[in-house]
Amino acid sequence: MASVNRSVVAHNTPAVPAISVNDLHKRYGTVEVLKGIDFRAHDGEVVSILGASGSGKSTFLRCLNLLELPSAGRLQIFGEKVNLRPSGSNLRIGDRNQVDRLRTQVAMVFQNFCLWSHMTVLENLMEAPVHVQRRSRGQVRDEAEAMLKRVGLIDRAKAYPAQLSGGQQQRAAIARALVMKPRVLLFDEPTSALDPELVGEVLKVMRDLAAEGRTMLIVTHEMAFARDVSSRIVFLEQGRINAEGLPQELFRGGVSERFDQFIARFNQG
Amino acid sequence: MTPGMFDLLGFGPQGWGLPLLQAAGITISAALCGFLLGSVFGIGGATLKLARSPVLRLIGQAYTTIFRGVPEILVVYLFYFGGSVVLTTLLNTGGFPGFYSLPSFVMGVFAVGIVSGAYQAEVYRSAYLRLDRGQIEAGASCGMSKFLLLRRIIGPQTLRFALPALGNIWQSALKETSLLSVIGLTELLRQAGTAAGSTRQPLLFYAVAAAMFLVIGRMTGAVLGRMENHLAKPWRR
Amino acid sequence: MDREGPRRTVSRHPLLLQIFLIYYGLGQIAPLRHSALWPFLREPYWCAILALALNTSAYTAEIIRGAVQAVPAHEIEAGRACGMSGFLLRRRIIWPIALRQGLAVYGSEAILMIKATSLASIITLTELTGIAHKLISSTYRVFEIFIVTGAIYLALTFLMSTAFALFERQLHAHHAHRRA
Ligand SMILES: Nc1ncnc2c1ncn2[C@@H]1O[C@H](COP(=O)(O)OP(=O)(O)OP(=O)(O)O)[C@@H](O)[C@H]1O
Ligand SMILES: [Mg+2]
Repeated sequence: MASVNRSVVAHNTPAVPAISVNDLHKRYGTVEVLKGIDFRAHDGEVVSILGASGSGKSTFLRCLNLLELPSAGRLQIFGEKVNLRPSGSNLRIGDRNQVDRLRTQVAMVFQNFCLWSHMTVLENLMEAPVHVQRRSRGQVRDEAEAMLKRVGLIDRAKAYPAQLSGGQQQRAAIARALVMKPRVLLFDEPTSALDPELVGEVLKVMRDLAAEGRTMLIVTHEMAFARDVSSRIVFLEQGRINAEGLPQELFRGGVSERFDQFIARFNQG
Repeated sequence: MTPGMFDLLGFGPQGWGLPLLQAAGITISAALCGFLLGSVFGIGGATLKLARSPVLRLIGQAYTTIFRGVPEILVVYLFYFGGSVVLTTLLNTGGFPGFYSLPSFVMGVFAVGIVSGAYQAEVYRSAYLRLDRGQIEAGASCGMSKFLLLRRIIGPQTLRFALPALGNIWQSALKETSLLSVIGLTELLRQAGTAAGSTRQPLLFYAVAAAMFLVIGRMTGAVLGRMENHLAKPWRR
Repeated sequence: MDREGPRRTVSRHPLLLQIFLIYYGLGQIAPLRHSALWPFLREPYWCAILALALNTSAYTAEIIRGAVQAVPAHEIEAGRACGMSGFLLRRRIIWPIALRQGLAVYGSEAILMIKATSLASIITLTELTGIAHKLISSTYRVFEIFIVTGAIYLALTFLMSTAFALFERQLHAHHAHRRA
């Protein structure tokens, strides 16, 4: 799109993008929240999605997991076209099974953790692999325990979410996403609900994941983290991608006036 | 010589112990069947009241309003007499003349169930509304189907939130079974009445029946309390 | 269940059982049978009233206790600060506030009482349900009779809850401006 401020024009791309979005629109009633988004994320990329409150970041991310249905546009996940059928002025799901299958490949981590409160941490981790993916319980248990070790929660495996701190809950939620062996991880402001002293432990886990070469899309207000960890930044403004590019180039300034203003406002406090 | 209190309540030839115990068994089983049937009606009623369609919501609302607003005894009459009227009409038109009636246990259980269901619908509805939408969404985002969500997330949590109020409704169902005495079911109250009539000791036998109701209520209440405690464990810090 | 009152722990006994205990049981007590009360206690009408009153009084006591306990401490303190104490404090501060708190719960208890009167028909009192029962057993037009009788009870409970709502609104008139 001509209006997008791109710092990197050509991408050295493998054949099939992990996620590919064409001309995505989302309306709530008469209000258009997303106004035509074109976006591609490739395997191993860490993309941070920045933008002011209300710019549509969450809505965009939720469309990728189909928690929100786009009103118009095309969505491909690992080259597989998501079957969406027009219905009035909106789209609706064409193939439930496809959606349920794709959702296990595009896992979501929520701002409020959203661990299932009636299950222990371990049960939370095993739930989807056992009941959705129908993998063998014993094997899943081993993997879940290994994952809990990774995020430093193995000694809390039998605890219930209400008995954990916010940081622990979010690490457990990340582990829950990981045991599904998703190919893409979506994070919607994973540290916004945390007390400041707990943010670090969650960001550390995410840093490790990025270093592993995981494909991640992260909505965040942690600017330092976005700058250090992302391979690419996408800046949303009023439902459109206003600027896009390598973090060092965007943060250097001069690519997009709006982005520079956004950062300036941010640094003021 | 008139028999003493212990002879009357004992298990000897003049004792009413065994019939009273049997009657208590009938009380418990009628209450249990009625309550379980009420859960079915209750879940159905709650689903209607939460439906998107205003017509369905209206039906659900009418169900709970009517059966919570009308005296239980009237509902018992409706089912007992209404049931036999329907059955008789059906059989008569089918070529079987005569008058038919349904067993009072079955009709009584239906009556208790439909009333209990009206109260349970309210409880399930408000328990459902207390669920954390985020957790349901988290389930959906993992690829859970509607049915799986219902079975693994929504169901267990709704039950947990509903249980304290369901305990009260169970106690009501237990008490309501005493109304089934008027349609001839030999439950605790009716058996006590029979004993009172033939021994001319109403004070004794009604007091014993009261004590038995109390004991049944306390014991089942304790069981429910344990269940509640167990299910509440995840929410305790 | 819409409004949760105090937990109903008091009456685990079926009301019908209490009615029988009074109606059939009291006659067994000889001194009572020879007392001045007997002309009343012989009547199904008074027995039913006694049973209903006993049944609801314990729970009503719970409601009142809960309502008084729910009066915010700082409002009582404010009363004391103005020099109120004893009966004056109760009459002017505690009871009016408690009344507002307890009224809603008491309203649903009152509706339960309307329904409970139907049990008096079992001890031969021909009130609404008694008449319905007679009509049903003589005509077998179960559904018509249920609909009419049920509608009368619903109308009664509706009137009762409307009356309570109006009374409540009156008491809360000082909050009226907030609603606008
Ligand atoms: N279910 C909905 N119905 C109506 N409007 C909605 C709904 N969800 C979001 N919106 C609107 O869409 C716009 C974008 O919301 P979104 O949550 O995507 O913003 P965001 O960029 O994530 O903001 P934040 O940083 O505050 O999370 C907002 O103006 C919001 O009010
Ligand atoms: Mg958001």
